[in-house]
Amino acid sequence: MKVFSSLCTFDYSWEEVSTANWRKYCPWNDKSTHVVGVDTLSRRVDPDTGILRTERLITCNQTVPQWVSSLFGGSPTSHVYEVSYVDPVLKKVTMCSTNLTWANVLNVRETVIYQPSESSPPSTTDFQQEAKITALCGGWQKIKNKVEEASVERFKENAKHGREGFEAVLEMSRRVFSEQRERETSAA
Amino acid sequence: MAASIAPECNDIKEKYDTCFLKWYSEKYLRGNTTSNECEDLFAKYKTCLTKTLKERGIDNMLDEVRKNTPETDAEYNRRT
Repeated sequence: MKVFSSLCTFDYSWEEVSTANWRKYCPWNDKSTHVVGVDTLSRRVDPDTGILRTERLITCNQTVPQWVSSLFGGSPTSHVYEVSYVDPVLKKVTMCSTNLTWANVLNVRETVIYQPSESSPPSTTDFQQEAKITALCGGWQKIKNKVEEASVERFKENAKHGREGFEAVLEMSRRVFSEQRERETSAA
Repeated sequence: MAASIAPECNDIKEKYDTCFLKWYSEKYLRGNTTSNECEDLFAKYKTCLTKTLKERGIDNMLDEVRKNTPETDAEYNRRT
């Protein structure tokens, strides 16, 4: 198993980040074009805690290295299952994702947490990401290591693009929201 | 908003997503967690989507992966 983790802080409030997070993969994000579909499978608010639980299906179209596709074959379309929890009291978003495609050769489990930043809580938000990548294919350890390493590399690239793309979405969301507010105030 | 994997569901998905986002930012985050004005739209979207999930065999993959969700539910779907 290999572990990839990253930390960063967004210069936006938790409310802004947790709202924009729902449209992270929209046309405003021109860096995560490998995501071609985001579908909500279920959504429920826990009556006791108020925690919002959402299941989504994320669909990606991504080219994989030639040696990977010759090993495992298959189409470039892959699916990811994501279950997320929003705790409006603790102000915490937790998202857990697992790959559906190639599930019998590779297990990728990602956990992402958005929380108000400890250093300046009202205005900035911390992002924590951890992915555990395990090659399940039988055979040589050497091949498993290679598969895991290639997956971590790909994960790193996507994470960097994901961050840049999300920054663009945050900026657009803030602009659109303030325009909307302005319109509402002038109409009132 | 992102597209659906089922192009024929895009219209209803767009309506639902817009409704949800409005509810999330204007009600849910402000403490009104009980209202559910988007449920009718979601039911329609889900009916549309379910067909495609079946056709592509994704429903079976989901059944398999959902065996692990009790684990994450136990950790995150409650407050300690």
